[in-house]
Amino acid sequence: MEQTLFYILAIVTVIATILAITEKHPVHAIIYLVTSFFALAVVFYLLAAPLIAVFEVIIYAGAVMVLFMFVIMMLDQGNPEEARCPLLVHCLPALVLAGIILAALLLLLSGRSTPVAPIGGGSEKRLLDVADFAITLFKKYGVAIEIISMQLLFAIVGVLYLGRRRKP
Amino acid sequence: MMSMADIQIALPLLILAIGALITLICGAIGRKQTTGYLIAVIAAVGAGLWSMQTPPALLAPGLGLSASGLTRLFSAYFCFMAAAVLLFSHSYNRYRDIAGEEYPATILFATFGMVALASATNLLLLFLGLEAMTFGFYILAAIDREQDVSSEAGLKYLLMGALSAAFLAFGIGLLYCVRGSLGISEIMQTTLAATVRDPIALAGWGCLLIGMAFKLSLVPAHLWTPDVYEAAPPPVVAFLSGGSKAAAVLLMVVLLVHVAELGTLRVPLFGLALLSMLVGNMAALRQNRVRRMLAYSSIAQMGYGVVALVSIQGHGLQAAAFYAIGYGIMSLAAFGAIGVLEANGCGAELDDYRGRGFTQPVASGALAISLFALAGIPPTVGFTGKFLIFAAAIRTGENALAILGILTAAVSIYYYLRLVAALYLQRGAAEQTESISINDTVLLALSCVLIILLGIFPAQLLDFLKIQLL
Repeated sequence: MEQTLFYILAIVTVIATILAITEKHPVHAIIYLVTSFFALAVVFYLLAAPLIAVFEVIIYAGAVMVLFMFVIMMLDQGNPEEARCPLLVHCLPALVLAGIILAALLLLLSGRSTPVAPIGGGSEKRLLDVADFAITLFKKYGVAIEIISMQLLFAIVGVLYLGRRRKP
Repeated sequence: MMSMADIQIALPLLILAIGALITLICGAIGRKQTTGYLIAVIAAVGAGLWSMQTPPALLAPGLGLSASGLTRLFSAYFCFMAAAVLLFSHSYNRYRDIAGEEYPATILFATFGMVALASATNLLLLFLGLEAMTFGFYILAAIDREQDVSSEAGLKYLLMGALSAAFLAFGIGLLYCVRGSLGISEIMQTTLAATVRDPIALAGWGCLLIGMAFKLSLVPAHLWTPDVYEAAPPPVVAFLSGGSKAAAVLLMVVLLVHVAELGTLRVPLFGLALLSMLVGNMAALRQNRVRRMLAYSSIAQMGYGVVALVSIQGHGLQAAAFYAIGYGIMSLAAFGAIGVLEANGCGAELDDYRGRGFTQPVASGALAISLFALAGIPPTVGFTGKFLIFAAAIRTGENALAILGILTAAVSIYYYLRLVAALYLQRGAAEQTESISINDTVLLALSCVLIILLGIFPAQLLDFLKIQLL
């Protein structure tokens, strides 16, 4: 069952992403991207990584996409006053994709067995928890985290510098 | 826990990171421009000197960092390059009115990325180092905010760079799929043998090569190069071709040192080298703007670098590493001199350089020497590097590439010497005296001396590389 679910969700992800990049209306594109992230989150859950699944939803589908929405609102690219109530035809692809993801999620949650992953190459199999994740992240890849944090800092520096108002 | 040895190995990275942070903080507190540059130069030189000393161990396994001879050589090279670029920038930025502590801090951050790349032992750190470095250059390319072309070039670089980063990350992900490990030696041994016909490994290498072609600005991923070279400040361009491209070459060397032969990579690399040498040199012939011409020439020069990578059986990797360093010093001299000339009111066209050899002897002299070196004229590092590359190609049996490389190198002499001729053989309109700061003079002289010294006595560096790249 897991394999079938994976293929269904993979197709959903691909379709939603393609719709996100072909959609002309920026807000619609973001909604499709959120759809794709949700499908990806369920795929992560299938891979026995519920923590990553939660991150995917909270950080990507949640925080990042809300940020995108705010930017679009501030730049006034969505033209809200011109928007009419969307027709059912426009909602249909999003509804279908969301329905599939929801169905997959319900199927997974109702099932008795949760997906498991082999830990440490041995025969022991269990769900990846926060401790495993944190130890791998900060012990094995600690330097990588530091490099990324420097990168984020300089992203801010660069944005502040380049965004400064020019001299008149 | 980090042991003492770990800290010693990671110290160049720490010095650069902390230096960048202190530079930022000083900019917020003090008002003087020079303080930021001073701190940044001290941090870069300190990190460079530290990486030159013998480490307690060659590897810090807990951190995933190495301190092998190759790592230390290139770390020191990147740090000193950054210090030189900072000194060149100081006077040029005053002329262009580029203010703020962000500039020196970002140079240090890009250096941090390069050193991280040089010390990486797994593909994740390699990728993050490369991206940290490129990230710094996204900012540096657009740093001249008063010019519209500058932000245009920065945006172009950012968009194409983001795409190439996606390709690189995806390629690394696919290679991880094949082996289940990110260690460089393990991945190289399992994914690149001639017998491997795993489609996922091949796709991974394809994505990786596309990303690397962008970083090295090889044809057909070269389109950003002329724009960035024309719009960014010359010291940044010097750092881009001396630091960023050397780092990209180093990345390929670090990957390929683990295999005996190229296997499936040979054909795509062959094509990239061929196209870059042809397109780069031919396009450079037709340019009338000096910086655009040097941009196309850098595409061609990286093509020679890839010829060396293809000639892996004939000690090509040594030649590639040697050429990366040599090319870095040549472009430091060339763009440092162009920065000085532009600060003295020289325009972008070839005609503006007419007669500068008489009015501005120091900068023009340095530019002329670096152009001779880029053209590959004998007592310079450019000649030695090209000689090593073509010798390696012939030893490996890549005669087609070697012959084409020699022919295009001969063609390239025309456009390099056209600029030298403009400097010395034609009379210019403006009579002007040269104003050049002491540190610019010293740096230009130093890089010219290095160009000639490395050209005449390459043996020490080569022997070192030979031991490291066995």
